[in-house]
Amino acid sequence: MNSASPPSAQLLISRLRDIVGDDGLLFNREELLVYECDGYTVEKKVPDVVVFPTSTEQVVAVVRLCNELNVPFIPRGAGTSLAGGTLPIGGGVMITLTRMKRILEVNVRDRYAIVEPGLVNVHLTNHLKETGYHYAPDPSSQGACTIGGNVATNSGGPHTLKYGVTVNHVLGVEVVMPDGSVVQFGGPCEDGPGFDLTGLFVGSEGTFGICTKVWVRLTRNPESYRTLLGVFETVTAATQAISAIIGAGIVPAALEMMDQGIIGALEAAFHFGFPLDAGAVLLIEVDGLEVAVEEEAVRIEAICLENGAREVRRARTQKERLLLWKCRKQAFGAIGRLSPSYCTQDGVVPRTKLPEILEFITDCGQRHDLKIVNVFHAGDGNIHPILLFDERNEDQVRRVLLASDEILTKCLDLGGSVTGEHGIGVEKISFMDKLFAPEDLAVMKSIREVFNPDNRCSPGKMLPTAGGCGTESHPHKSHPGRRAAM
Amino acid sequence: MSDLQSVFQPNTQAELAQFVTDNAANTKRSLQPIGGGTARCEVNADNVCEVQLDLLNRVIDFPARDMTITVEAGIRIAELNRILTSENQRLPIDIPQAEQATLGGVIATNWSGSRRFGCGTMRDYVIGISAIDASGQRFSAGGRVVKNVAGYDLCKLLVGSRGTLAIISQVTLKLRPMAETSAVVALTFDSLSQVDAVLSRLLTSATRPMMLDVLGRVGALARPNEGMGKSVHPPVLIVGFEGASREIDWQIETLLAECRPFEPRATESFAGAAAEPLWNTLRDFSMDSKSSVTFKASLPPSRTCVLLHLAIEAGIAVQAHAGNGIVIGNLSERVSTADQAIAAIKPLGELIRSCGGHLTVLRAPNEWSALHVVADSWAGSLAWTQRLKRQLDPRNLLNPGVMAFGPA
Ligand SMILES: Cc1cc2nc3c(=O)[nH]c(=O)nc-3n(C[C@H](O)[C@H](O)[C@H](O)COP(=O)(O)OP(=O)(O)OC[C@H]3O[C@@H](n4cnc5c(N)ncnc54)[C@H](O)[C@@H]3O)c2cc1C
Repeated sequence: MNSASPPSAQLLISRLRDIVGDDGLLFNREELLVYECDGYTVEKKVPDVVVFPTSTEQVVAVVRLCNELNVPFIPRGAGTSLAGGTLPIGGGVMITLTRMKRILEVNVRDRYAIVEPGLVNVHLTNHLKETGYHYAPDPSSQGACTIGGNVATNSGGPHTLKYGVTVNHVLGVEVVMPDGSVVQFGGPCEDGPGFDLTGLFVGSEGTFGICTKVWVRLTRNPESYRTLLGVFETVTAATQAISAIIGAGIVPAALEMMDQGIIGALEAAFHFGFPLDAGAVLLIEVDGLEVAVEEEAVRIEAICLENGAREVRRARTQKERLLLWKCRKQAFGAIGRLSPSYCTQDGVVPRTKLPEILEFITDCGQRHDLKIVNVFHAGDGNIHPILLFDERNEDQVRRVLLASDEILTKCLDLGGSVTGEHGIGVEKISFMDKLFAPEDLAVMKSIREVFNPDNRCSPGKMLPTAGGCGTESHPHKSHPGRRAAM
Repeated sequence: MSDLQSVFQPNTQAELAQFVTDNAANTKRSLQPIGGGTARCEVNADNVCEVQLDLLNRVIDFPARDMTITVEAGIRIAELNRILTSENQRLPIDIPQAEQATLGGVIATNWSGSRRFGCGTMRDYVIGISAIDASGQRFSAGGRVVKNVAGYDLCKLLVGSRGTLAIISQVTLKLRPMAETSAVVALTFDSLSQVDAVLSRLLTSATRPMMLDVLGRVGALARPNEGMGKSVHPPVLIVGFEGASREIDWQIETLLAECRPFEPRATESFAGAAAEPLWNTLRDFSMDSKSSVTFKASLPPSRTCVLLHLAIEAGIAVQAHAGNGIVIGNLSERVSTADQAIAAIKPLGELIRSCGGHLTVLRAPNEWSALHVVADSWAGSLAWTQRLKRQLDPRNLLNPGVMAFGPA
């Protein structure tokens, strides 16, 4: 960012008001507080202004103004990011897209829909109910998160084990580029000419521009489901069962694990009848044709029992199935019962290394005197240890950051990654140079320069700055947002 | 083309990187990465060095229980398939000339076939990639785990980049289990409008096809512009299934029942080993050696049959992946000049443009370069594509002339 003197706040606000109108912006300190962080609450910073555009044209005008006045800007959806993706480093204008939430077209014959970025994920699938089709990516936060946010973070969800993540279901995007131009990458026709810029844009975490329209692929609904709950004495036995299921050539639609810590909280919240003394449960779903799913379910039951399951229950009715999924998807919500704050990690390991990483997490929690519970996408090897703490307790915060760093480092040692679906954001930026060589980062940076040369759009995200935080040995200091916020 | 051509065949990725580094520093020749040479593109430069990658064929790691494999990019597809089959796994992309074609080439050209309806394309399977850029720098993106959003997804950028951005040297793939068995049902109809009606019906079929192809064959007597005369075979809808036997049997029966009201003129089903030859024929359609030009068109699936009709009228033999709106066309063997080829393709252009589609020539005689820009519609993304190319290969050393980047 070059260092022209900041424009007067007054000027910025009045020019923005001209674009989005009186009810399209917030700038009072108290109102801005809502926007000081997202689902990652460890680091905080308020933007100078929040705007709520209602059209691509308004987004263009806002972006052009920011360029003219040399003010950073950052897109935001529902703010459910768990990696601090929406932290407005350097302040500036937050462009919140939640008022652009229309479904512009549903075309079942050509199996796509066009939606605005602020549309809440589950609203699309609800809208498609009668068609026999759905939008496959189903993050656990789907009741709140937006499709634009999903595109920016390449979100996953429980059913991505079989159906793939967001990028596998996005055909095209309309983007307001950081220079204020509007471009469409991809569209309803597959295999467009040139590079797969849609694929490159998905997961770019707001650093390549602001997505204002999305062409998504619609997926045929499965005819039938079998939803099983495998109850295990230990986490290790459960992870062995996972390996055995995948090893047997079965790709379930979903394969989720919940450990004892989270089961307790879920039971208190939902009274499902979870076994409170179990070490871990696996929530396994197979879907497909009625003629096929029963056979698969029986095989899975057998594999679970061979691997030490105490029992394998089945959801007998659709109501029971939906309740099970509600428990799973609202697991984070139930954590409120366990502690005032929590930090969810998002490491990935090869699935065969699950026993090792889970043992490490237990051990890590003990060493740092922290309670850690686990609820995660086990079939993909995508762990979500949830570190419980009280954010008013400085020392606990310090230990949470330390333990998080240790767990993610261990994921790397085991051949994995530090983020399976939540993104790098600001939270994991210090890991980028552990995950990638300087040459890798140099290429990524040179690509960002093509799209976002002044780094005015979502500054401080995804890539470490030269000589920056990556070299900091102390994790507490290495969080740029935290430093920016302090 | 001058006669300064030469060939370099590295034994290791390090050797490759060194060579490209030296080239960038000294001779600055244009480099043309070559895998199996099955989908060669013609580069537009005087001083070209072919970089043959087929010796980079090692398996780096195959943790079968994790269902991923890391290999060097020059590995032949047939060899890769043998390795995966030994663990009952596969990369479910239909690739012709597998004994020749290399993984790197398949990725660079984003090759796909009939199974793309049920299984997707290369972009859905490449989870980690290493490549050498034009300056000789080796870089990587992605990783070796099936789910990973760290860093920009350069795998997507390189899939389909046709060797213009970097030379792909190593790849990690996500794998799928082998299907227990498969079946193919071929339904012949009197007209394409009937096929179109069936395709609409199948949108809510109780079955879950892996393949929805339509074949429009042109008889030996067909001549360009002859129209839908007797020499044109009636269109055939080909539906493929994969899974357990019971599931397959049920689907064949259900599909036939669903199609009966549309009165197909003939139906044939092939299950298990009997289906194999048909899958292979469909896989190899674009390699028809009698035809001099093969193109690939893309349009909304609902427009597929309209395009097929136009193509058949123009004497073009066609295969459509109808669920995806992809049409492969082989021009008549009678087409013997670029002008004739352009004239044959032209009638399709208007329809394709009007619905935002694209047409790319996959195969044509080298001299017919005029053909390569017939009907690509870039919709504004061209400028960004060119900027990326300039950023990663500022001297235009890698495959100049390919993909609308202009000659060296
Ligand atoms: C309880 C809970 C459960 C969760 N479960 C999952 C899960 O199962 N799987 C999963 O993947 N994630 C999960 N998440 C994380 C989060 O919901 C996802 O990352 C989601 O995609 C964020 O969407 P959002 O609309 O809230 O985006 P935000 O949090 O507002 O933004 C996320 C990032 O996207 C950028 N962005 C937002 N909108 C746009 C746009 N229009 N154009 C460009 N960039 C944009 C932002 O700048 C930011 O970098 C969960 C979060 C919570 C709180």
